Parts: sequence; structure tokens; C-alpha cells
Amino acid sequence: MSELTPEEYAVAEAQPRINWVAARAMLRSEARLLARNPAVVIWTAILPVAASIVLGAIPGVRAPSKDLGGISFFEVYQPILIFFAITLLAMQALPDVLTRYREIGVLKRLRTTPVSPALLLLAQLTLMLTVSITCMLLMVIVPALVGAPWPHNLGGFVIAYLLGAWAMFGLGMVIASLFHNAKVASGFGSFLFFVLQFFAGLWWQRPNMPDWLRHISDFTPSGAAVQSLTDSSLGDWPSALHLVVLAVWGVVTSRLAVRLFSWE
Amino acid sequence: MPVIEVSDLRKVYGERTVVDGVSFAVEQGEIFGILGPNGAGKTTTVECIGGLRRRDGGTIRVAGMDPAAEGVAFRTALGIQLQESRLPDKMSVREALDLYASFYPRPHDPNDLLERLGLVEQRSTYFSKLSGGQKQRLSVALALVGNPRVAILDELTTGLDPVARREVWDLLEDLRGTGVTLLLVSHFMEEAERLCDRVVVIDHGRVIAADTPEGLAGSVQADQRMSFTPSGPFDLAVLQALPDVHSATAVGERIMVTGTDNVASAVIIELHERGVSVGRLRVDQPSLDDAFVALTSDDARAAGEEVLR
Repeated sequence: MSELTPEEYAVAEAQPRINWVAARAMLRSEARLLARNPAVVIWTAILPVAASIVLGAIPGVRAPSKDLGGISFFEVYQPILIFFAITLLAMQALPDVLTRYREIGVLKRLRTTPVSPALLLLAQLTLMLTVSITCMLLMVIVPALVGAPWPHNLGGFVIAYLLGAWAMFGLGMVIASLFHNAKVASGFGSFLFFVLQFFAGLWWQRPNMPDWLRHISDFTPSGAAVQSLTDSSLGDWPSALHLVVLAVWGVVTSRLAVRLFSWE
Repeated sequence: MPVIEVSDLRKVYGERTVVDGVSFAVEQGEIFGILGPNGAGKTTTVECIGGLRRRDGGTIRVAGMDPAAEGVAFRTALGIQLQESRLPDKMSVREALDLYASFYPRPHDPNDLLERLGLVEQRSTYFSKLSGGQKQRLSVALALVGNPRVAILDELTTGLDPVARREVWDLLEDLRGTGVTLLLVSHFMEEAERLCDRVVVIDHGRVIAADTPEGLAGSVQADQRMSFTPSGPFDLAVLQALPDVHSATAVGERIMVTGTDNVASAVIIELHERGVSVGRLRVDQPSLDDAFVALTSDDARAAGEEVLR
């Protein structure tokens, strides 16, 4: 086995900070591993996607309801279900995979190679985001094809979705940073999942919450995201408050995760 | 010029000094062993060399580079097999090699590595389905796939059964002469005796001996031991009177004798003159094991005295 010449070392040292060949190989490898453990994706996707399609297909559910402040049951629940999928991926799947990689020493092993283990985190985030966007598209397009309304303000919808996803995956990264034991991380993730779903209005719809509770919900990432998505679906723009809340959650959790995350 | 130079390396965790002034140099192409009991500071030492830990003192140069700078060129020059590092369960051997090959500017051909490491038949096998020896061989392959100048192998054969251990040893012997420098961390003396050109013994964070394995084994004042089954009865006092014999005892039908380097011939000649022949003879040289035990127990005693003072 021949070694590199000094010139080749200089070339290696001068490589751009992101090695795209390695990034592509890592993404392909992570995608393959995800495909070999399909349970994660199936369980994340099936329930919300099936529920939103069923709801979209039932005419009665699409009619405005007085109990829900004049909007339909479908319009209340579609954003909640879309966010359900992101939350499940961000609170459960992402921390689970990352803490496990840390536990088995994959991240530490990568540190000894010319590429950074940060590439692996990026590959995972890219995959998880791709899965959640696919779920979202299914939950918007399929119900629309069977007669449910399209989101009326598409621009607002996309902005609300992306900001919400940023806040949630940021939070997932914080969980993966705080907990080094995969089982503990997944337990905490489940707990947080239910709290977030509560504020999103899964059991108690936001229009029906008492004012004080809705105000708290306004400042949670799930409450702000679901309201922004709902506003956009109905043709309005998301309120500045909700967008700012989501952006702040995104910034704070990302910075926290970058500071707290350790490879070992 | 040495490819690895470590001088006066220090690493402190809180109040505890884990590595306390370790120095050694490794030449290109050598198989160099770092030996020592558990908790001696071996892994911390190689993790400092590998750039995974920041040292608190001393200097390290690997192929002329400082690991603390954590440059890409440094990590290209070095391949590491970490203790207890695993891969995702459902990643196959070939996929792992291809993935790690993509990290390096001029990787070694994965097909050649599969062949060299005897993993051709396992190329599509998932990591979780490999045997212990196969997993370790894959780890060696991953440490070598970047064509490194130096490969660090930490406790490579710990936890393997004797057959798998020999497989891994054979493989490392095959790597001798390929130009790659191997830094081997072990607490197995047999491993060091078989593979290493030179070794250092580390205990309590310090180098307590540095030599070839044979030199180290020869340096300890250990008696030669022999045992045999005599063809007939004789008086043990006859042997005990010989100047080369330090002790002679009977254990069942076997006679155990310890003494100087000449003890075996002295005993055989003496008994031959009395018409007794020596059957099922066994002579044990002082081994690296003995040297290791002697060295580390002396060191423990010295450390104890220091504490008392």
C-alpha cells in the first residue's frame, strides 16, 4: 500500500470544506439504512396520511361547523395531521437514530476520517425533511383530488411549513444533544410529542381552547405552526406573531443543538 | 525520521493524571505495541495521537503533523480502529468499505481489501450478522481503506475467541512489509510477542519499559522452569545439590525444577549418570507475560511507596 506524496497531502488539505462525493455517499447510505428499517417511516406516515385522506373524502367533514368557529372539521384537522408527521419524525425518529449512532461510536469513528460527522447529521436531517415533505404533499394533494379544498394561500402555507419544520427539527436535535442514552431520548421524545400535540389542538381544537390556554399555545412551536398553516389554508397570511415565534424557536434550538451536541 | 514521535505527553482529567510524561518514537513500517494493564492510560495515549483528545502537555507528531491541529491531511495520513466502535446493524461489509473509501482522496481498492482480509464471501452480509472476528477484520479494513501511513488498532482482539484472534493476527502479519506503520494497543502479551517489532509498557500513565518483545522477556530475572516424568525413582536431594538448580519438587509422578539457563542440561546429565532417563520433558522460557507481570507489579509497589511517602 503506497502512501500519499506531499503534493497529494497538500491537495487533500486544500479540499473544500464540504466533500460532496462523501456527502452524496453518506446520504445514499443513510437512505438505504432507512429503507431497511421501514417501520419508522411507515408508522410516522400511515396514520396521519390515512386520517387526512379519509377526512377529506367525507363531505360532511368539509362543511363549516359552528362548533369550530365557522371553519370545517377538515380545515381544523389537516394542519394538525400535517404537523403530527413532522413532530413524530423530529421527536422520535431523529433523536433515536442520532443517539444510537453516538452510542455505537459511529460519530466518534467519523471524527478520525477526513470528513466531519456533521455530514452524517446533515444527511439525516435531509432524509427526515424529505420524508415529512412527502407526507405533507400526500396529505394536501390526495384529499384535494377527492374533493377537499386546496390551501388557498400557497405561499403562506409553504413559509409556515418550513418555519415549523425548522423549529421541530431544531428541538429534535436538542433532544439528541441532551440525552446520550437512546432509550431515554426516545422516552423524552414521546413525552414531548404528546405535549406538542396537545398545544397543536389534537384533542382540544385551538378554536375551542379557553383564551389563556390558546395564548400559551400561541407561543409553542406546534400551536404557532398549526395556526399558521390553518390561516394559510383559509387564504389569509399567517400572523406575524406566529411566524416570529417559529423563527425564534428555530434559531434558539439550532444554536443550542450546535453548542450542546457532542460526538461521544 | 520516525513517523510517530511522542514526547512528554500529558493528559489530566480533573485531578487525575492519566498520562504522565509518555515518550516514544515509531519508525515507518514498524509494528509497534503499546502494552499495559487495564486503566494504564493506553487508550488515552492513542486517542491523543489520533486527534480525538486534546493533550495537556508535551508534543506529538504524526507524519510531521500535529494531531491537535485536526487537519484534513492529518486524518488522511492516519487510520484508526477504535475500541468498541460498531457500525449500523443493517450496513453490509461492501457498503461500509465503499462509504469509508468515499471519504479519502486516494482510497485503496475495496475489492483488494476484501480479498486481503478474507471477507469476500461476507461482502453482502449485514454488520450485525458478522462473527466477532469478521467484525474486527472489517474494522481493520476500514482503518486501511484510506491508504494511511499509520494505522492505530486499539484492543483489536479483546473479546475474540482464540481461533478468531489467530485469524486477525495472521492478517496483521500479512500487512508487514506493505509500508504501513501499525500502532497496536494490547494487554495480550502473546499478541505483542508474535506481532510487534518493538513495544513500550505503560503503567500509571508512564512508560516503564521500552524494548523488543524478546529483549523485554530476557530482561526480567525469572528462573527457567522445567518439568519431566523420570523413568525410575531417585533422590531429589541429588538435583537440589546441583549449583544450577534453585528448587526441585515432586508433584505426583512429575518432577518440577527451577534454576538458571543451564538447568535443563545439568539435570538431564546428572540423572543419565544415575541411569534415570527423562520423559515428557517440558522447558519454559521466561515469557513476555512474566516480564509484564514483574514490571507492572514492581511499578505498583513503587507507586504505593510514593503514596506512603
